[in-house]
Amino acid sequence: MIQYQNVIKSYTKDYKALNNINLHIKPGEFVSIVGQSGTGKTTLVKTLIGEEKIDDGKIIIGGWDVTNIGQREIPVLRRQIGVIFQDFKLLQKKTLFENVAFAMQVCGGKNAKIQKIVPHVMKIVGLESKMHRYPMEISGGEQQRVAIARALVHRPKILLADEPTGNLDSLNTNEIIDLLLRINKFGTTVLLVTHNREVVNNLKRRVITIDGGQIVSDQENGKYML
Amino acid sequence: MFISFFRAIKFSIQDVVRNIWLSLVTIIILVLTLFTVNMLLVVKVVGQTAVDTIKEKIDVNLFLKTDAPEDHIEALKMKISSLAEVKSVEYISKDQAMEEFRLRHQDNPEILDALKELGKNPLTPTLVIKPKSMDVFDSLINQLNIIEDDIIESRNFSNYKTMLEKINAITEKVSNAALVLSSIFIFITLLVIYNSVRVAIYTHKKEITIMRLVGASNWFIQLPYVFSSIIYTLFGVGAVMLIFWPFLNLLQPYLETFFVSYNVNLVQYFYGNVLSIFGIQFLVAAAINILASLIAVRRYSKI
Repeated sequence: MIQYQNVIKSYTKDYKALNNINLHIKPGEFVSIVGQSGTGKTTLVKTLIGEEKIDDGKIIIGGWDVTNIGQREIPVLRRQIGVIFQDFKLLQKKTLFENVAFAMQVCGGKNAKIQKIVPHVMKIVGLESKMHRYPMEISGGEQQRVAIARALVHRPKILLADEPTGNLDSLNTNEIIDLLLRINKFGTTVLLVTHNREVVNNLKRRVITIDGGQIVSDQENGKYML
Repeated sequence: MFISFFRAIKFSIQDVVRNIWLSLVTIIILVLTLFTVNMLLVVKVVGQTAVDTIKEKIDVNLFLKTDAPEDHIEALKMKISSLAEVKSVEYISKDQAMEEFRLRHQDNPEILDALKELGKNPLTPTLVIKPKSMDVFDSLINQLNIIEDDIIESRNFSNYKTMLEKINAITEKVSNAALVLSSIFIFITLLVIYNSVRVAIYTHKKEITIMRLVGASNWFIQLPYVFSSIIYTLFGVGAVMLIFWPFLNLLQPYLETFFVSYNVNLVQYFYGNVLSIFGIQFLVAAAINILASLIAVRRYSKI
């Protein structure tokens, strides 16, 4: 599903954020990518969604070599990868329904289809009764669930979660992780980037540890090692 | 394609309404700048009228002999009236001239005493000749110079020519200065509009970034802001028209008092040119707004 081949990304001459990363993630896997702050986790996410270009190596997603992806193709790539962020990144002046629908509208989705799918997805994340509220009117945990709903509307093959529980309490954290596990059960490849030791250790799934821009550990039934 | 186009319009209207204070501020800035531009236009029209008024005041005096018979004077008057360059000719008799002189200097007792001392009317009958326009002045002077008539006392038109040249020089300098000032002012206005739209879009920076991260293409992000720019311009120009009309009607009586007996009608001028005046302002302001939107959105959507 996702392949990183000898990937190098430098921000300055002396500093390599990603240093010869080799990675293969199979379809349907649930992978946690862990590491302390500044080790290259976020850079990995950014290179995956085309936000940053790599200096060397190859990135292949679902058979598509996105290493030198053009500006015009980036929106197409992002529509195929569901992404959720630590700060939720919801559009504050749109209702929850409109936030989720936006992800379909950017692809030219028809109104009838949107009216059918969005409520369904909102039901999956447990927010069907709050569809017409605005982000500022709901809690952090609920906002993250809306972000997940938005990431799911395209039925992406890959769901990338960049520190999704960073701004949440433990109760909400557990809810979000449970949701991600449920999504993974339906066949979506889930990449969870986190530095939450408890979450990783409770998952008992594959754990890739990054330190100093390099993969220092890759375990099928891993634990948070740093 | 059409779905996305109409969606962009819907997003645009939603954005204007849901960011109502920002929208109002942007429109107010637009109104203020357009009002200033229209004031410039008023100053230009009034200034031009003032210059034309001054030029119209220039006339040529032909002094006649004191004992010239009335019928001869009348014949000369008719002859001069028939010249192509002449707009009108007025005959001022020596008694009339004396009366006007007394009135002009009624507050100056020394002059009136001197006149009394003379015992007789020193003033001569005069033909006051108004040219059709300042452009034919030279031609008129030439024509007057070649008229042969015994009753003409003196014809020295060099003063008029010098005065006219001075007036023309001054009005040309004033026109040039006005043009330069107007250009600077309009440039500042355009900059203000451009930057106010950029600031408005800067407040949407986060939103634009999110849209791009979710997979929106550049044009899908840009189009609503383009439509918002058009909406702001429409409201801005509409508001200016609503404010300017009563303002002009308020100003008109004062202008009529100042330019008494001259036809200075700003209301009519603006009414007669409403499409071109406000149409051009709408097009230019919309173009600036759209350009500013496109540049700003493009800048913030480079993720």
